[in-house]
Amino acid sequence: MKRDTFLIFAAPSVVLMTLLMVIPFGTAIYLGFFNITFRSINDPQYVAWRNYQEVLTDPGFWEAALFTLIFIVVVVPLHIIVGFAIALLIDQTNRSRGFYIAGSLLPYIVTPVVGTLMFRQIFDRNGLYPYLLEQIGFDINFFISGDMVRALILFHGVWYITPFALITLFAGLQTVPKEPLEAAYVDGANWWERMWFVVVPHLRSLLLFVTLISTMDAYRIFDSVFILSRDNPRYNAETIMYYTYNTALGVGRLGKANAMAVITVLGIFFILIPFLIVTYRQQVEER
Amino acid sequence: MEKIKGPWVRIGVHALLVLWLVYSATPFIWTLLNSIKLPRDFGTRSDKFFPFGDGLGEFSFTPVGANYARLWLDIPAEQFAPVAFGLIGLAILLIGVGAQANRLPIPPSSTYAIITAIIVAVVIILPNVVDMAEFYDYFLNSIVVTVATVVVSISIGCMAGYALARYSGILGVVILFTALAFRALPRLAFVLPYYYIGQLTNLYDTRLLLIITLVAVNQPFTIWMLRSFFMDIPREIEEAAMIDGCNRFQSFTRVIIPIMWPGIITTSLFTVLLAYNEFLLPRILTQTNTTLPAGIVQFTSGEDAGFLPVAAAGSVSITLPIIAVIIFFQKYLIKGLASGAVKG
Repeated sequence: MKRDTFLIFAAPSVVLMTLLMVIPFGTAIYLGFFNITFRSINDPQYVAWRNYQEVLTDPGFWEAALFTLIFIVVVVPLHIIVGFAIALLIDQTNRSRGFYIAGSLLPYIVTPVVGTLMFRQIFDRNGLYPYLLEQIGFDINFFISGDMVRALILFHGVWYITPFALITLFAGLQTVPKEPLEAAYVDGANWWERMWFVVVPHLRSLLLFVTLISTMDAYRIFDSVFILSRDNPRYNAETIMYYTYNTALGVGRLGKANAMAVITVLGIFFILIPFLIVTYRQQVEER
Repeated sequence: MEKIKGPWVRIGVHALLVLWLVYSATPFIWTLLNSIKLPRDFGTRSDKFFPFGDGLGEFSFTPVGANYARLWLDIPAEQFAPVAFGLIGLAILLIGVGAQANRLPIPPSSTYAIITAIIVAVVIILPNVVDMAEFYDYFLNSIVVTVATVVVSISIGCMAGYALARYSGILGVVILFTALAFRALPRLAFVLPYYYIGQLTNLYDTRLLLIITLVAVNQPFTIWMLRSFFMDIPREIEEAAMIDGCNRFQSFTRVIIPIMWPGIITTSLFTVLLAYNEFLLPRILTQTNTTLPAGIVQFTSGEDAGFLPVAAAGSVSITLPIIAVIIFFQKYLIKGLASGAVKG
């Protein structure tokens, strides 16, 4: 394809992305230098680096950053382990696999806000789980303390995102070549050894891909936090996204929120550095 | 991997998988039950599991449609009953005609077009006949925004995806990786300025702003996915078409697009889900003129417990179309998820 044809074909999409992503991102960096509130929306004041300073010294921001990190460290490994285990189980079935896969998809594909609402209803004071726990002697109110809500956010994270790892790894399992497995079997390797030395290495790049995507998604978790910790300052179970959102639309400090969003962007690149190194090493090894 | 033999292993595998499905689906079933409970059955710490009236003693409750009526209607449910029966009758008629489309004297495609037109007409006329609640407006907004987003997003995405699959220059690589980087960015980094710009230009609280921002935000995902599908189509096909006298654009619209349909359907499906499920954008960019996910949140705020069964009814109403999508498009969904490399 010639360069001119390429430009004509790609133009609408590229222009739109430039107008609505690249330029707004530049605007966010720019607005971060101003003090803007709802009242002064037409009259922003230039405050240089003060917003950035304020964000970096804000204990609420660091608390939110810490919980976001905990969310990533807990949910990402856990959902891959659970998803891989279920994928192996579904791989053992024959005719019913379509049914199991479709059923598993439900939490992942349903509107996240609605999924969280449903999740919340089951844990609410009148919900099923408190009732069942009461029957075996535990009287627990899940929405009374911040730690409890945090635990629920983590639990919901795993419940919601596992199907993604499940489907991707299940598709990967279908591509594992037969010969090395049979060779390992002939050589006397047991099931665990074949799994660890043949199947997992084959799925390595896929595992990396799932980790990468789910880390990015976990970093910007918003919808479920919004539903589970809303309307109650006591909960304090905030992630960075939710804290930024609140700064912008709850407290009405648009300038500070923009500065926060820019710092958040730097944060995700910082978190992704290990992945980039691993990917680079893999590329070098394969050469 | 090879299958492990033995009847006990098989039973164990299926037992574990059924447990897994129960774990995945419990919130859905529980919410469905909550949505047909009266507030008094909802309010007690609940041992009411079965919608059978008095059939099973203290464990059962009487199912009601009141929550759905309160959610969708501004008039008493009794006044709506004749309309409801009319709608159900119409639905059965349309499903019957649709199922027999092949036997009718007119071509099936025009039958489906007529059915679609009737459904659209009913959806538009209904609020003029009956007083519908705000939730119906959110529902209409969701439909309009989703359809418009998919049409615009896929049209420009197809052109860009095709160009990126066929052009080997450095510019293509730059565009692809910039798009990927923006896919990784936390949305707020470019959504907050929308709020600011929307306020300044009076586009705040309009469907138009929602549609163009949704298209833009999902564009990286769309072009990556479409590009991977275009890569699977051999170049020889359009080269043959161009030797036979097509220009580049004709070979794209007349030769490539017709064989791309499975890829386009898969990508559209994901775009539908992304647009329909989006919460952050409508939450930030609209106030009254919002879509379903942002609209349902108002039923959850505050301590008014009477709203919670209504929220349950809303949750079920929003979920039903998605379950229909899973049932009808399962193959495309799994193919799209498994093809990897990209995701919304």
